[in-house]
Amino acid sequence: MNRISLSHYFCGMRNLIAFYLRFRIFLVFAALQGVALYTYFTSSEFPKLQLLTTTGAFNAEVLKVRNDVTKHFNLENTNKQLEWENIRLREKLRQSVYRVEKGAISIDDTSFKQQYTYIPGTVINSTFDKRDNYMTIDIGQISGIERGMGVFSSRGVVGVIHYVGTDYSIVKTVLTKNINIDVMLEKGGAFGLLKWNGEDARRGTISGISNDMVVKKWSKVVTRGGSGIFPRGILVGRVEKKGFIEGKPLWDITVRFSEDFRSIQHVYVVKNLMMQELIDVEKHIPAPVEEEDL
Amino acid sequence: MGKILLHSIRFVLFVLVQVLILNNLELRWGIYPMLYPLFIMLLPLEMTTVPLLLVSFALGISIDAFSNTFGLHASAAVVFAYFRPVIFKLLAPRDGYESEVEGNIYEMGYRWFIYAFGLLLLIHHTWYFLIEHFKLNELLMVLKKTGLSVVLSFVLSLLVQLIFVSRNKSER
Repeated sequence: MNRISLSHYFCGMRNLIAFYLRFRIFLVFAALQGVALYTYFTSSEFPKLQLLTTTGAFNAEVLKVRNDVTKHFNLENTNKQLEWENIRLREKLRQSVYRVEKGAISIDDTSFKQQYTYIPGTVINSTFDKRDNYMTIDIGQISGIERGMGVFSSRGVVGVIHYVGTDYSIVKTVLTKNINIDVMLEKGGAFGLLKWNGEDARRGTISGISNDMVVKKWSKVVTRGGSGIFPRGILVGRVEKKGFIEGKPLWDITVRFSEDFRSIQHVYVVKNLMMQELIDVEKHIPAPVEEEDL
Repeated sequence: MGKILLHSIRFVLFVLVQVLILNNLELRWGIYPMLYPLFIMLLPLEMTTVPLLLVSFALGISIDAFSNTFGLHASAAVVFAYFRPVIFKLLAPRDGYESEVEGNIYEMGYRWFIYAFGLLLLIHHTWYFLIEHFKLNELLMVLKKTGLSVVLSFVLSLLVQLIFVSRNKSER
């Protein structure tokens, strides 16, 4: 009697150990999986560990070496872009404009106050064919970069600063899931949110434009400058296609980006000098009060 | 000791190749070749699952650190490592595996390698793209990307072995 219960006991013990060993593997698996998925899903909102991003001192250095080798393949193209931009800006200078009313104009400098300054940066790592595409640039805290600043290039809008390291930062490009940049049609001023569905690096969509607005094909889409991230009027792209969304009074608008995300070398980061003022003012917007349905 | 050194060097090489070359290929249709699962495949057969999981996690997180994926590769690599013993058991030869061998194509034969690695790679890629998209209405794109990338990753892994694993050394 005693013997039987003892062997039973050992048998149960052995099973327990076997079960524990089996379970241990799953436990380790679940723990590692938990850590990995947790960092993945939280970091697409707000990364915490610099070491695990491309702004880490060592990681960024390695990528920079790679970029130093590959950047020369694009040099000619890059130079041409910068040349075009210079020409465009030169045309706006006072010396290229013929003064129609001679002597009548005096520029009152105090009526203009600088609102935006731009910080130039070089792209050292980027992708365009993933579901979420990020970009590493070689300027960080030291150059005055902050999270949430807008990024554009000579061709158009690129994205928003996602994470700032000491010397490098990560840009969340337009080609990500929840980018939602405020954009508007240059003519007409209808505005909506820019989104990307993950398929084509050259096309995005705008949601939220009511279908009683006039939307012309190939009309320009620019930033709205709503939240102070971008100045108003930076080019995003052109309307390539419009259609109806079934069951909703909205246009389904496809935008062809003016930016070519496959070959970005130089970008500008927007610093809004009046950002604090904007935040302070917008604090006074009353919070939406939910009215009870009667 | 020599084995540890060999696998450490391999670890670094696989990370570098993935990060510096494969991450920047930018092929069309969202094809993304991943070679690092081969490293986990080639870890010693007698290695138990827990160290296997830990090494795979380290490999994945190292690749994440260079590609702004924040843990996506780590997650997929751990899935690969978790299923490796399962698949190996499923496809075990009649008299079991010899210890001290490596799961490469010469030791285990083409047939075994194609089945085992093919299955594991399919699981790995499916997981990777599912988590990357994480949207039900993009399922078609996930399938397309998985199907195309698996083929390329597999061919790449075959080529790497044909070039770098010397046959004579393996046959002993």
